[in-house]
Amino acid sequence: MSSIILEAREIRYRYPRGMEAVRGISFHIRKGEKIALVGPNGAGKSTLMLMFNGMIRPDSGIILFDNEPVSYDKDSLRKLRKRVGFVLQNPDRQIIAPTVYQDVAFGPVNLGYSESEVKSAVREALRYVGLEGFERRPPHLLSGGEKKRVAIAGVLAMDPDLLVFDEPTSGLDPSGSEDIMELLDELNHQGKTIIISTHDIELAYPWADRAILLLEGRILQEAIPDVAFGRPEYVRQAHLSMPILLDIYFELEKRGYSLPERKPRTVLDMLQVIDVAFKKTPCCHASPGTISVFDVDSSPHDSLPGWLASHPGVSIGAMGTRAKQHASDNHIVLDFTYGVIDKCILRAIIGESSLILTSTGMVRRVEHRVLEFATVSGISVPVRLMD
Amino acid sequence: MYEELLEDIAQTNGLREVNTYLKLVAGLGAILLCLLSTSFIAPLFIAVLLSGAIILLARVDARTYAELFIVPFWFAAMSVLVIILLSGGSEVYWSWNPFSWLSISISRESLNEGIFVFCRVIGGMSALIFIALTTPMTDLFIVMRRCRIPDAVLDLTMMIYRTIFMIMHLLVQTYQAQVMRLGYSSFRESIVSFSTLCGSVFIASWDAGEDLVRAMDTRCYAGKFALLGETGPVNCYSLAAVGLFLLVSSVIVIITRNIVMI
Repeated sequence: MSSIILEAREIRYRYPRGMEAVRGISFHIRKGEKIALVGPNGAGKSTLMLMFNGMIRPDSGIILFDNEPVSYDKDSLRKLRKRVGFVLQNPDRQIIAPTVYQDVAFGPVNLGYSESEVKSAVREALRYVGLEGFERRPPHLLSGGEKKRVAIAGVLAMDPDLLVFDEPTSGLDPSGSEDIMELLDELNHQGKTIIISTHDIELAYPWADRAILLLEGRILQEAIPDVAFGRPEYVRQAHLSMPILLDIYFELEKRGYSLPERKPRTVLDMLQVIDVAFKKTPCCHASPGTISVFDVDSSPHDSLPGWLASHPGVSIGAMGTRAKQHASDNHIVLDFTYGVIDKCILRAIIGESSLILTSTGMVRRVEHRVLEFATVSGISVPVRLMD
Repeated sequence: MYEELLEDIAQTNGLREVNTYLKLVAGLGAILLCLLSTSFIAPLFIAVLLSGAIILLARVDARTYAELFIVPFWFAAMSVLVIILLSGGSEVYWSWNPFSWLSISISRESLNEGIFVFCRVIGGMSALIFIALTTPMTDLFIVMRRCRIPDAVLDLTMMIYRTIFMIMHLLVQTYQAQVMRLGYSSFRESIVSFSTLCGSVFIASWDAGEDLVRAMDTRCYAGKFALLGETGPVNCYSLAAVGLFLLVSSVIVIITRNIVMI
């Protein structure tokens, strides 16, 4: 287990002349975890999150960052805020400067980076969120999703270890939300710890490593998502709804089917559950289809069009911002942009082949997920790395 | 957005990537030449050329440009009418004395003077609109910093720029919400609605201001506003075009200095 990055011990906070928003909360978060803070409006999510970077000082109790108690003098706060990036719910309120470049550069400049360091930090951050070429655009001419990305880039440019997102998907269209969740996944894969607050159970359920349910300033439940969202009485108390996959799982269980222990988190998991429940041999095709992986960072780009021409009808998915950028630059129509590996495995089981475009860091994840699937289901899907 | 702003046109115009200094030199030089010229021909030439540049090179919609031009155009036309009627001259074509203390006349000199002033206004206007439509504010910030405008003033200007659009957005939203509930259906109602509009936008902008401070704090604000990007490099074609434009205009100013309309 990795070390603890953020810990809260019995923290309490009361707004001036207001009600007590946080009533004794303790928890800890480890490095590299993906945490979803879930709860109804007014449960204290935002207040709690503002404590993570010292914007609000708890009345009692302590917060430890990297095993050091947070101190509230100006210098320590600056150091803390460099390491804890905070993305507000409303990007309009986070974007300060008149152009995208200036806004993303704001943090690095104030951290005292040299001009060339600022430039490379901004370039890197914008590349990461897929907004290259937007440097001179003014924020008020961007779409909601683009503004959100600018806000995220502004925080990424400071290279924090812990990223806190207040409602990252609010106000975005479904595909925009999926893109942002994928971006969060990608960031996590680079070793960042991520905390989000959300109402969107369907997005949080497959994404999070752990979920913390908050209600009236207290922790109602803190567990892995299928446990946290799997207790109807808690879900009801927290004004949430059960994720649809879990709901189906429990309904099947109630009808007396014997189901695998592991709760389904994706459609692929669900299909396994159904296969087991109805005693069906899972494979309807003698040989599963192949998943080809194309690394947009290292593979030669000219090999792709030829391959696509010789393999018509193959489903194509892209994982990560750079891969999606590559696809749109080369006019490749994508079939999957979210949950790509699972969707491709689903295709493979019914004998169809597919192609995943991705960046170097994520290639291993494809192999890992396919192996994991093979141990659970006994079907080994061939993965071929293109070069 | 509620309506298209000049700034939005400038952000997307066809000459956006041309070096900011070049555009400013072209625009300001044109204004200077309009003022120096003693004949109506040079300003007219500048107006035609710059209008052509705005419509053909900057690819600003001709209709939008015409709408922009129409207000100063009428203003200039009416002022010039007064000049023509009230200033006297030796070669009088028409005159009328309604009262003993008032005489209205049209003379050769007054006509020439009127046409000259009118062309000057048109030339100057087209140069100003040329700058406004091709050079967005964000590029002017870079020039302002080069001109050694104090950082505090510049930072404030940039924050105000960003805030204007936020408040504008708030204003439009609140206004639409009022219109949807028939807020401006009668005169009395309009006055009440307008006052609540002002009040709520004031409070909302106050809120936004506090959020701004918070947002800057979360990102380690230490008194420094971000560096600016760079303007596009000076391209030899555009340099030649601007040079040629100013040269030809100057030559026209000199050659035509004694030419009058009639």
